[in-house]
Amino acid sequence: MKEINNNEILIEVKNLKKYFEVNKGFFGRSKEYVQAVDDISFFIRKGETLGLVGESGCGKSTTGRTLIKLYEPTGGEIIFDGVNISELSENQMKPYRKKMQMIFQDPYASLNSRMTVGDIIGESLDIHNIATGDKRQARIFDLLNRVGLSKDHASRYPHEFSGGQRQRIGIARALAVDPEFIICDEPISALDVSIQAQVVNMLEDLQKDFGLTYLFIAHDLSMVKHISDRIGVMYLGKMVELTDSKELYANPEHPYTQALLSAIPIPDPEVTKNSQRIILEGDVPSPINPPSGCRFRTRCQYAMERCALEEPAMREVTDGHYVSCHLMDDKYPVAK
Amino acid sequence: MGEKLLDVKNMKTSFYTHVGEVQAVRGVSFGLNKGEALGIVGESGSGKSVTSMSIMGLLQYPGKVKEGEIFFKNEDLTKKSSNEMMNIRGDQIAMIFQDPMTSLNPVYTIGNQIIEAIVRHQDVDKKEARVKAIDMLRLVGIPSPEKRVDNYPHEFSGGMRQRAMIAIALSCQPDLLIADEPTTALDVTIQAQILELIKELKDKMDTSIILITHDLGVVADVCSRIIVMYGGLIMEEGTAEQVFYEPTHPYTMGLLKSVPRMDVNEKQRLLPIPGTPPDLVKPPAGCPFSARCPYTMKICLEQAPDYTYVKPDHRAACWLLHEDAPHTDVDTGVKREGIE
Repeated sequence: MKEINNNEILIEVKNLKKYFEVNKGFFGRSKEYVQAVDDISFFIRKGETLGLVGESGCGKSTTGRTLIKLYEPTGGEIIFDGVNISELSENQMKPYRKKMQMIFQDPYASLNSRMTVGDIIGESLDIHNIATGDKRQARIFDLLNRVGLSKDHASRYPHEFSGGQRQRIGIARALAVDPEFIICDEPISALDVSIQAQVVNMLEDLQKDFGLTYLFIAHDLSMVKHISDRIGVMYLGKMVELTDSKELYANPEHPYTQALLSAIPIPDPEVTKNSQRIILEGDVPSPINPPSGCRFRTRCQYAMERCALEEPAMREVTDGHYVSCHLMDDKYPVAK
Repeated sequence: MGEKLLDVKNMKTSFYTHVGEVQAVRGVSFGLNKGEALGIVGESGSGKSVTSMSIMGLLQYPGKVKEGEIFFKNEDLTKKSSNEMMNIRGDQIAMIFQDPMTSLNPVYTIGNQIIEAIVRHQDVDKKEARVKAIDMLRLVGIPSPEKRVDNYPHEFSGGMRQRAMIAIALSCQPDLLIADEPTTALDVTIQAQILELIKELKDKMDTSIILITHDLGVVADVCSRIIVMYGGLIMEEGTAEQVFYEPTHPYTMGLLKSVPRMDVNEKQRLLPIPGTPPDLVKPPAGCPFSARCPYTMKICLEQAPDYTYVKPDHRAACWLLHEDAPHTDVDTGVKREGIE
């Protein structure tokens, strides 16, 4: 087991922005931008799991991908272990690629169907010159064993596996380079309920054994609550609330968080019958022309005049609980 | 209430593929009363969707209902010709599918697709049908329906498309609405909107509902009675309260234990069900769950259990409930304490 110092910050994000260009004019002139991630800041401590939740199109996956520079950030800084990696070239990034890995949502699309499982896992060992020959083979068998598969599986192809098993292969591939930080982008949403729990338990065990740090992206709030230490809630490219996971569910402050939490169907007939649902009106607006001021105001039941004029600042309402909403008193300090 | 609308008797559905006969549904019996909301829960491959497709008569080659009867208003649907089924479908039984993008026709306007259903089944001309279509869109909560009626599906968002699907399904005021994973492709806040709409319309139009889902939370919200399916068979059936608070089948218990509870605050470890679902080309001789069950006995592997009625309206297929079964301390997974 690795020693984990819980207060050390592994990754810090400052004012991260990612805009995607959409050409609208006939000759591709008048450019518009999808503001997929717009000015968000957060940090993740070593050995911690930060959950990122929000509806589709809120920018949570883009945040994850920009974080490991699968997308080039439009603005802001990404500081990994004290080094600003946002400006690094592809070559300079290579040692960091080893430290940051990703597990993808769709276990059917994220494995090369023409490669054996052994080669899928071994590919990253080759790229980073970690092991060759017998050592490589031993490492692959060891990894398969770690994720609950056997070494016979190494010579098979992805189509011979079920969804849950494929996700295990994806996890083994991520672990191959001995990373410090893993981004789990909806790793369980394509799996059946009984299989989800298997994978989540395994992720928790691996975190303990290897001292991993996770960014766990999901839209299933009950699973996120289960696995995360802290949770960030995103809406339309903005972080609206960020706090300890217990605190978030006990005292949600942002109206969007409150609606999101109350919308989750609870598997308990009596609790569901007696709960008061906040039903949000309408749909998420387009991120090309997001509403002025607070982006949630078009669906917010408490929206005031000020919400349209001024963008709310991220304020720290209690220790480590950040909310970006005009309902919060101005006396709370603005988060840096 | 109390009047039987649908009665499925020992229905078996198979797909005859090149690898052999896939026995997707292996003898399922259940009934549905007027005005009732029944939930069918199960994982992928449990046979829940095939059950609904069999009722609708929408099975395509190589699928076939090979045995059993499906009584709808006391008439056996398995004996109907495809023409007769076309008159029933859309008019008396309607269906909503999981993916509203692929189940709407992209080259027709939303209005046209509602009008098509109305003109097909009702004695009205296109003009009246259009008025009705606009009314339906208003009923399902589409803003400015007079304009939206002429939109194409791609101009609608996911939630609005599902509302449009519901509008089409309910346009002829069917007696039975089958909703197959209606909210799985939607975000939670939109899911809440759609579930609210389904509940509201059920009361307003007195439609019976079969809701098929893998999400235990969704059935707890909408349904009064629940069927749990696994490996092509019904494992347990009971009222929502019975299934959630007094589950008797180890599979139901396993499902309840494997989902984290939002309202329980202490950090618990999830208890997954080990293993994977059975292969339905060669289904196990005994109970389909025996390979993953923590309480498996010798007989479970050899012979499939019959239903034991724990209460008149609560049944389960498990050898543990047999009177000769050894007494076992079963952890039902129902934790009512620690809830705020």
